[in-house]
Amino acid sequence: MPEPKPLLQIEDLAVSFPGKGERGRPAVRTQAVDRVSMSLFPGQTLAVVGESGSGKSVSALSVLRLVPTPPGHYDRGRILWRDEKHGTVDLLTRNEKQMRSVRGNQIAMIFQEPMTSLNPVYTVGSQIMEAITLHRAVTRAEALAITERALRDVGIADPAQRLKEYPHQLSGGMRQRVMIAMALACEPELLLADEPTTALDVTIQAQILELLRKLQQEKGMAIMLITHDLGVVAENADVVAVMYAGRICEYGSVLDIFDRPMHPYTRGLLASMPVLGKATHRLPTVMDAATIPGDFPEGFIVAPHVENPHPVDGYGGAAARLYEVTPGRWVLCTPAPGHDATPTLPVLDYKRDTMAATS
Amino acid sequence: MSDAANPKPSPPITADGPAAAGHASVTPRRSMTRQVIGETLTHWGARLGLVWVVALVFMAVFAPLIANSQPIAVRVDGRWSSPMLVHLGALDVTLLVTFFAAAVLVMLRRIAARWRWLALLGVVVVTGVIAGLTVSVPQPVVHAQWRVAQAEGRAERVVFAPIPYSPNDRVRDRVRDQSIDAADLKDVGPWWAGHPHNHWLGQDPLRQDVASRMIHAARIALGVGFIATGIAMTLGILIGAPMGYFAGAVDLIGMRLVEVFEFIPGLFLLLIFAAFFPGDYPEIIPGLKIQRIYLIMGIIGLTGWAGYARFVRAEFLKIRKQDYVQAAKACGLPLRSVLFKHMLPNGLAPVLVSASFGVASAILAEATLSFLGLGLNEDPSWGKLLDQAVKSGTFIWWIAIFPGAAIFLTVFAYNLIGEALRDAIDPHTQR
Repeated sequence: MPEPKPLLQIEDLAVSFPGKGERGRPAVRTQAVDRVSMSLFPGQTLAVVGESGSGKSVSALSVLRLVPTPPGHYDRGRILWRDEKHGTVDLLTRNEKQMRSVRGNQIAMIFQEPMTSLNPVYTVGSQIMEAITLHRAVTRAEALAITERALRDVGIADPAQRLKEYPHQLSGGMRQRVMIAMALACEPELLLADEPTTALDVTIQAQILELLRKLQQEKGMAIMLITHDLGVVAENADVVAVMYAGRICEYGSVLDIFDRPMHPYTRGLLASMPVLGKATHRLPTVMDAATIPGDFPEGFIVAPHVENPHPVDGYGGAAARLYEVTPGRWVLCTPAPGHDATPTLPVLDYKRDTMAATS
Repeated sequence: MSDAANPKPSPPITADGPAAAGHASVTPRRSMTRQVIGETLTHWGARLGLVWVVALVFMAVFAPLIANSQPIAVRVDGRWSSPMLVHLGALDVTLLVTFFAAAVLVMLRRIAARWRWLALLGVVVVTGVIAGLTVSVPQPVVHAQWRVAQAEGRAERVVFAPIPYSPNDRVRDRVRDQSIDAADLKDVGPWWAGHPHNHWLGQDPLRQDVASRMIHAARIALGVGFIATGIAMTLGILIGAPMGYFAGAVDLIGMRLVEVFEFIPGLFLLLIFAAFFPGDYPEIIPGLKIQRIYLIMGIIGLTGWAGYARFVRAEFLKIRKQDYVQAAKACGLPLRSVLFKHMLPNGLAPVLVSASFGVASAILAEATLSFLGLGLNEDPSWGKLLDQAVKSGTFIWWIAIFPGAAIFLTVFAYNLIGEALRDAIDPHTQR
């Protein structure tokens, strides 16, 4: 069996924004995303976890080249996209017109705030239809039929009526469903979901995630799920990338990461999660629990977690790279003196379903 | 009240509605435009203003039917004819055709609004061109056939317009009391104020009917207001939208341009331009002569866009951060569509409010120019009438009060509409 090729591969991506220079010192550009590498296989869900400002959204926006430049700037890296027609292309070198045929058509995106991500002046139906007629050669009637089917697919009853409604007439959960319908109407191969459930209440959250999972199975698309909710990650992800201060600090399969976190930040993050049924007086903070594991693989040195990393060296130090410290696990660290190791790009073709079937 | 303005029933709440999604279909289905219009019309001020503006539109469109020295219909020797129709100019024809086309298109509710606007634009352009090429007004003659027939007693019926004087009609006059000398210039006021001549609002020093001139001047007032504001608004949007969207260097340069234009005192620029291009058909560039009124509209428009650009920029700066703009871009929509289809309708509200005030100030600017004697020469204009009221040496009250009131009421009406529009839009922008 030939090695499956990743659908999307981000290599060593760096995006920066102009920073404020302190008095007497030159301005240092803020590295929003720094040496980020990740890969996505068809049908896989990659969860990108991290706190606000860790560069999750910028990474996702970079895939569609939606980071405004200026002020933003793509410093380094490649975003390789496996295109059916053109083979593998670097999205960072595509021009605006070529990008437009990728956006919405091959890679779609849904946003955090369903309340504001639909245009208030147009009906729901006309917004979905606009996306369809843009990328597909269909008549109005056909586009209408596709729109209705898309709305039905996301579990909206009476779609023929709903598509004549304005966004302000719909509830938050309904709007997020509409957003998903809009994103999926052109049957993209990759869906970037930027905190799709953060603004929704818990029951609706579960419904939306369930819906995404169902649609993913039906259409076989890959999902990049950006979230700060570890519960969502545990439920949905195949592969997890943990980010802090613009860098990926740990990358591995969801089971590995939750079973045996290796990077201090990941450990702190997981330890600060409340556990159901376990009485605790006070939850440990990320900082408290960010310990370096005693059994950290030999030959590698991981820097302790710091809250404010050095503005130039970055989180983990200037020499820190992603090394595959154990098979299928990449951690941001440096090789120990005398040890020889080369940093590798994280590529992990792991899917939860196949695991579940074997175990 | 807003519900009365919009008779659409709210959609029925279906029993099998998606309870799981927590759908609440209590808000009636109507677009924001409809909501804003409905809410604007709940203000009595806006209603009064609108009534006055609609009355002006009627006057402007049907001016040749209301005030015309050519009879609407004449029956000579058993045959009907209409000197009024023969004497219609290209502009009259275009206005009338446009008006009826607009009325028909308003009725056709099944067609999307966009197509109706396009159809109306097509009608205006096509009739304008055809009328401009084909319609020619016969030179006015003293011994018109119907006059001769009337004098000889052959005319069986002559149906006059309600005001039987054309705006530039200086020669003929009908005196109620035939014994009075029609040449006495001192006594040309309205008949109800004790003056002998048969004029509702009196005559100006050139013996032209003031009422007729005022009705025909409604065209100038409306035209200047709408076209000058339209030019200013279009320019403002085209310049302000990229400024707000791209921000950064584009914004920096654009704002300096806006500031430069805001620092130029508009009225003085207008005065300089008006003095620079004298005559009814000034030659703006070698070989191109345009009507003076279009020059005035153009100058008012070209000097007034800075404020709109500021508004549009501010709105776009705010809107470009909205998720739906990101979503539109993430859908792969081209820049033109993102800017003008998705962002513009959301940012247009404050621009429209200031436009309704802009219409008022454009009317004032034209009146000022005409009052200073730099406006139109031959065509009637309210400001020009005011000018005549003081120029003739003695203050002629009837030429001052009526056009003055017309200017005041029109400016007041637009300001009332603008005020109501602002009130209606405010809560919506605060969502």
